[in-house]
Amino acid sequence: MIEERELELFYGPQHLGMVGNFSITLKVEGDKIIEAIANPGYLHRGFEKLMEYRTWMQNFPLVCRINVIEPDSIEMIYAMGVEKVAGIEIPERANYIRSIYLELARVGSHLFGLWAYANMLGFDTAAQWAMYHRDIILDLFEELTGGRVYHIYINPGGVRRDFPKGFKDKIVKTLHAIGGCIPDYDAAFFNNALFYKRAKGIGAITHKDAKELGAAGQVLRATGMKYDIRKVEPYAAYDKVDFDVPTREDGDAYSRIWIVRDEMIESVHMIFKLLDMMPEGDVWNRTPNPLKWRIPEGEAYVRVESSRGELGLYLVSNGEDKPYRVHFRTPSYTHGLPILEKLLKGANISDVGNIMISLYIIAPEIDR
Amino acid sequence: MNINKLQEEIRNVFKNVVSKVGKDNRIFLNVQKEQTLNILSFLKNNGFDHLALISCVDWIKENQFEIVYILTSYLLDDERSKTHIILKAKISRKNPEIMSVLPIFENAEFYEREIHELFGVVFNGNNRLIPLFLYRKYEIPPFRKDFDTREYSKNFYDSVLPVEDREK
Repeated sequence: MIEERELELFYGPQHLGMVGNFSITLKVEGDKIIEAIANPGYLHRGFEKLMEYRTWMQNFPLVCRINVIEPDSIEMIYAMGVEKVAGIEIPERANYIRSIYLELARVGSHLFGLWAYANMLGFDTAAQWAMYHRDIILDLFEELTGGRVYHIYINPGGVRRDFPKGFKDKIVKTLHAIGGCIPDYDAAFFNNALFYKRAKGIGAITHKDAKELGAAGQVLRATGMKYDIRKVEPYAAYDKVDFDVPTREDGDAYSRIWIVRDEMIESVHMIFKLLDMMPEGDVWNRTPNPLKWRIPEGEAYVRVESSRGELGLYLVSNGEDKPYRVHFRTPSYTHGLPILEKLLKGANISDVGNIMISLYIIAPEIDR
Repeated sequence: MNINKLQEEIRNVFKNVVSKVGKDNRIFLNVQKEQTLNILSFLKNNGFDHLALISCVDWIKENQFEIVYILTSYLLDDERSKTHIILKAKISRKNPEIMSVLPIFENAEFYEREIHELFGVVFNGNNRLIPLFLYRKYEIPPFRKDFDTREYSKNFYDSVLPVEDREK
């Protein structure tokens, strides 16, 4: 029941401080939020059900649409799940290419996140730089895969094609161009007092609460825990390369956005190392005819570290040419529903966008 | 903690639990639906404090739903953080009811809401089983195997699918 001094406010899908097709019903008293109820479902397309009607290979164009900003980790996890159930090995070079490709996607996704956050706070200059730098990464993807946003590059058994001629140099050149601008980003945005004042202490979550609510990714690392699935349970070529996991202590929006910046730099260094270590050889182990491919009975749970946190897949096969059950555990699901509702309780109305975007939520990932 | 030791302990404490170790440290436990709460709280006390996912599989031929709980650990530098426990409880399809795990894992609320909406499973103890994603009500919950998406869109939108056209 709404009391007399409370007001119900619909924070709708068209709002500027919104992360996409998503809305919240807020119960406010003055400008203080008493209760927040998340309303997902605007983008519910029932992919998990649709996938039960399509063959194993036909599902690739579907899965990458689950996360529009970073479709690559979803491709990776679906390919990993299929490989695990079917028992397929992949060549060494493909592992390295997958890692490089995923790290490029992480940098692109973080730049997009930076754009959204800086734009929301009114730092238009830094936001436009981030958008431009994401664009030149998309150029790399276009050359490698033919698509800018959806790539469908990782296949069970490896990757679709090898790096084209001179592609290594292009990656290095692009990343140097982005890395050279980090001091500019720092001057314009990260070391700006306005950023500190607007983000410090906003949407703070304690380490205990974060664990209790199943957080991962930046949200957990901002509370001081070095929890990264690339380290805990390495996949692709992450066990062969040395990298650091940046953390912060405070658990607030300020810490989360700084981690995004530090992670981006770490990813760029990792790509340089991986490019040097890359062996020669095949990039794809032949898999059976996709039209007749039947995968033996079995089930698997696999997970990767996407740019937003822990991404998992529970896959069940009953020996047919189609999956029997697919269920994605997406990071935005835990960050965008239980954690968001908790953090908004007691917050100020003007901080809703700030909290949401710093949690790094993306709506299509919640709905699937 | 060693995985084999843990498995032994589970077998000693709980009867009727069938366990199997899969590839890459995945432990599969088949339990009775009355046991789930006890085993989950036992596992949480033994370091498996991260409920990654609750899922549901519709085994229509056996006339059963299978509720799947996937657990892992937040402990760093420990074998448990690489281990996943996949705990499965079968419930009847006619009267799908199971206890909610909300008292043990706070983040279970939304997973249970989703499964309630898409499969029609009732979680006793979860007071917030209101619709999450869907806009309208369906006679058969839409993620069940007997819900045919093609048949539904044909009846509801009164349209013939282009795929069928090609077959003719």
